[in-house]
Amino acid sequence: MDQPDVNEEINILLVDDENDFRQILAKRLKRRGIEVREADRGEKALRMLEEVPVDIVIMDIKMPGMDGIECLKRIKKKHELTEVIMLTGHADIHGGVEGIKSGAFDYLSKPVELEHLVRKIKQAFHKIQRILAEKKEVAFKEQIKQQMVVAERLVALGTMASGVAHEINNPLAVIQDSAGWLQQILEKPEMQSMPRRDDFNKGLERINKAVKRAGKITQQLLQAVKTQTTEMADPSTFVEVSLHKISEEAITLVEPEAALKNISIKLETQEPYPSAWTDPLQLLQVLLNLLSNSIQATDDGGEVIVSLSTSLEEAKIIVQDTGCGISKENISRIFEPFFTTKEADQGTGMGLYVSWGIITGLGGLISVESEVNKGTTFTITLPVKK
Amino acid sequence: MFKISSKIMLVDDEKDFVEMLSLRLKENDENVIAAYNGQECLDILEKTPVDVIILDVKMPGMDGIETLKQIKKRHPLVEVILLTGHGTIQSAVEGMKLGAFDFLLKPADFKELTEKLNNAKKRKKEQMERIQKAEAAILLRQSKI
Repeated sequence: MDQPDVNEEINILLVDDENDFRQILAKRLKRRGIEVREADRGEKALRMLEEVPVDIVIMDIKMPGMDGIECLKRIKKKHELTEVIMLTGHADIHGGVEGIKSGAFDYLSKPVELEHLVRKIKQAFHKIQRILAEKKEVAFKEQIKQQMVVAERLVALGTMASGVAHEINNPLAVIQDSAGWLQQILEKPEMQSMPRRDDFNKGLERINKAVKRAGKITQQLLQAVKTQTTEMADPSTFVEVSLHKISEEAITLVEPEAALKNISIKLETQEPYPSAWTDPLQLLQVLLNLLSNSIQATDDGGEVIVSLSTSLEEAKIIVQDTGCGISKENISRIFEPFFTTKEADQGTGMGLYVSWGIITGLGGLISVESEVNKGTTFTITLPVKK
Repeated sequence: MFKISSKIMLVDDEKDFVEMLSLRLKENDENVIAAYNGQECLDILEKTPVDVIILDVKMPGMDGIETLKQIKKRHPLVEVILLTGHGTIQSAVEGMKLGAFDFLLKPADFKELTEKLNNAKKRKKEQMERIQKAEAAILLRQSKI
């Protein structure tokens, strides 16, 4: 097979109890630009791998103490991606075959021809890269699939919820005006001496407050559903938005809330400052929601980090906190409307649903990773100007 | 606050809503009549002069925008305030371009509604005064000839 040149650094651990042989081979490999570390025993090799993993192990089969085959089995068990090339004594085909059966990449018999060994190293390195690329692709496909499942469910929920919201709005208006009418009557001069007038006012005030709250929920719902569907194709509000500026603006707005809990908010970015092709007001709303969530989830003295990055294809905003985290059962439902773990009057469970609707409407993606008691990371991906 | 005595028409297919809002406006000494669809609104306008119409955008049959077009065509001096749901703000913009005075989001805050209503009444009154002045000027000129 034709092998392209390997430009990346290859890290190797050379394991052999014959010091002269090992040192000379290591020197020759280093001259080829390959990073080589050495161990004279299998046990030592395992310890070194624990500390610093390498790409490829080149190991003699015959060693005092733990032999090469045993060491090979342990390496493959612990370091799945590490490839091992076995070195066998002259004419010891049997050992080499046993090595391959136990998971070695290949074997070479001593005395080793350097060119031959370098070729094998490169082959093994390519195999590692191929496996890594495949794993990345599988993970990427899995992530897309999960997001599609979530999106489908949210769209279905959203359609139903917006129907409900529309229908609720009319009776809400009637309730509001009925209570308001009674309040107007109570203000009339002839009503000033009515018995228990204050109690009536108190009750009506509660009705008004509750109607306002319900109205806010229906508005958020309708906004979320609207942004993720109809406004998707309306790029007239899109401009080139400096993520650095908009993040600073969002941080300034939530800083008083963070200061109360002694939480520091850091903005991490590098020049040239990333920008996205998006609607600044809607993006600001999402950032405020994520930051405010992070502050609420984080204990006194914790930290929230906003980091920005960009590539030719997309811009990324990552909001990371050192808060209480989200449990496995909850994380799959976090973007659903009305899903909340807060007390009934503390949150409506609409914030992240609205954020999801906005980001989807902006042609981007929003995802979450979390570990309980360690913290939560939200990642927003947005389109860039082409 | 001084009140301009005017006639107001409330147009919405939701009967309870029309009734309650009428009661509230009447409590503020407004002169209110109700219509429950676009056609009824236009029929009433043929017989009764109205100063300001509070018009729901989303109605079965003739919708608010179509009703607005007809009102402005037949009675261009009547001021119209549109009531829209959150999902139909776009139609509010369209309505303003067609000559609506202003719009309100449903459920509308009553204080906001009375403010906009007063502004609409004021504009209607000022417009009428300008017309009367112009007519008077014409009469004056004719009498001099």
